[in-house]
Amino acid sequence: MKPGAIIPSTAASLTSLTVTMAVMCYLACLAIGALILVDRAVTSWTSGLSREMTIQVRMMRGTDIVQEVEKARAITAAFPGVVSADILDESEGAKLLEPWLGTRSLEGLPVPRLIRVVSDTANPPNIPALEEALLQVKGARLDTHQKWEAELTRMARALSAVSYAILLLICVSAIAIVIFATRAVLQANRHIVDLLHLVGARDSYIARQIDGRFLRTGLLAGFIGVGLGLFTFLLLGLLGGGSESGVAAASRGLLFSTPSIAIWSYGLLFAVPGAATLICLITARVTLMRRLGVAT
Amino acid sequence: MEWGDTLVLRLENVGLRYGDGPEILRDVSFAVRTGDFYFLTGPSGAGKSSLLKLLFLALRPTRGTLRIFGEDVGSLSHSNLPTIRRRIGVVFQEFRLLDHLSTYDNVALPLRVAGKSESSYRRDVMDLLDWVGLAEKSADLPPVLSGGEKQRAAIARAVIAKPQLLLADEPTGNVDPVLAKRLLHLFLELNRLGTTMLIATHDKGLVRQAERPVLHLEQGALNLQ
Ligand SMILES: Nc1ncnc2c1ncn2[C@@H]1O[C@H](COP(=O)(O)OP(=O)(O)OP(=O)(O)O)[C@@H](O)[C@H]1O
Ligand SMILES: [Mg+2]
Repeated sequence: MKPGAIIPSTAASLTSLTVTMAVMCYLACLAIGALILVDRAVTSWTSGLSREMTIQVRMMRGTDIVQEVEKARAITAAFPGVVSADILDESEGAKLLEPWLGTRSLEGLPVPRLIRVVSDTANPPNIPALEEALLQVKGARLDTHQKWEAELTRMARALSAVSYAILLLICVSAIAIVIFATRAVLQANRHIVDLLHLVGARDSYIARQIDGRFLRTGLLAGFIGVGLGLFTFLLLGLLGGGSESGVAAASRGLLFSTPSIAIWSYGLLFAVPGAATLICLITARVTLMRRLGVAT
Repeated sequence: MEWGDTLVLRLENVGLRYGDGPEILRDVSFAVRTGDFYFLTGPSGAGKSSLLKLLFLALRPTRGTLRIFGEDVGSLSHSNLPTIRRRIGVVFQEFRLLDHLSTYDNVALPLRVAGKSESSYRRDVMDLLDWVGLAEKSADLPPVLSGGEKQRAAIARAVIAKPQLLLADEPTGNVDPVLAKRLLHLFLELNRLGTTMLIATHDKGLVRQAERPVLHLEQGALNLQ
């Protein structure tokens, strides 16, 4: 004969807590997904950007653009720390402008000529000195992408900060809900708790009879949340079709990237049930011990 | 009057009131030694149950001093209470059985909360249930028990852990005279084995049969009869 549960699980069920915690965990997964994506995007942008620079040579009155471009290329190519400097031909330059100007013919327009400069990341060129040297070329301007990079990094930092703030808010509200649920369970079982005290039960014994349920709730809610989160990323990845960029590709990247990265993503996502369980268990335990200690 | 282990209870000018209500107990003073057997009588509403609540530490006196097993109740912290309560068995007037636990589990509760394993107390609990005539009902839930059966289950739970002090509130209120006599014998037997007894009752027949001293509570005052 197995002894019956001292606190019946039917009194004050934890179903609504499970549902709410599952939603919290789901939101936490989305926030974590956003964090990983932003982090990954910043790494790939900045590593590409900082290797490359562009020199723009604008058409100036009284100069031969072809000559000036060639001069700029020669100066740059010979500069220490520069791996290569290639003049983009006009059609390539036009292609780069497509997003802004469309596919109209650029014939006759004073489109600046571009030189793509690849620098040696291990031994980068001295940018101010290169700019100085390029002063010899009329209409030349060195574009290091640093402004873009700074802008992107700032935006990424803002996004990450928002994600962290959301995670923090989720934790705080999860703790608050667990406190309320714990009080509700105690309230519903007041007569049992009083009797247990009178027959000599210690607070820790009574707390143990109750907090196991909170542990199971946290674990279950956590796994439901992660399941829904993974499903969402999968759905985003599939719905976006085969496009190479954007949210769809990023979501696919979360789920099916190289093992070393995937371990990180999955590890962080599956930390959610662990965190949910700990929050449920510790919060319930602390609340129980505080409340039980107030009784006579 | 000597102190030490022989003194189980000692009340000095104990007063009790609920909230802003009238004083239910006024200047109650008495002492109970190990092995004593007292009845507690008095009209309904006199405060017998309230006095017992003080003694099993469900209430604190509003004034005066109460010592249990030599400990001043006023200076006991919450974490000290379980140790003292485990030395006291209580039969509540309204039984207070847990409706979701079987009779067996209800009776075993004090042993279970003290951390004993089921295998270690199984035999004792079944023997006691048998003795009070509830062996057949061991798997039943309290709501399907008769009043007298609930009373016997409540008594069994109070004595299962062999307490040093037994406080019983109307323990024969719901049983016929034959069973009442049987229960009285259980109490006398426990007392003979060393358990100190304080039994609140209206049952004049029980008091007469037992021939034990009576503490009478009336209008807030307690007197030895
Ligand atoms: N929790 C409470 N709050 C306020 N008043 C209470 C409370 N419990 C008991 N009383 C009052 O205290 C008085 C004594 O009650 P108590 O239950 O101790 O009497 P009793 O002697 O046990 O009566 P009975 O013989 O009917 O069981 C009663 O007037 C009752 O109304
Ligand atoms: Mg009473």
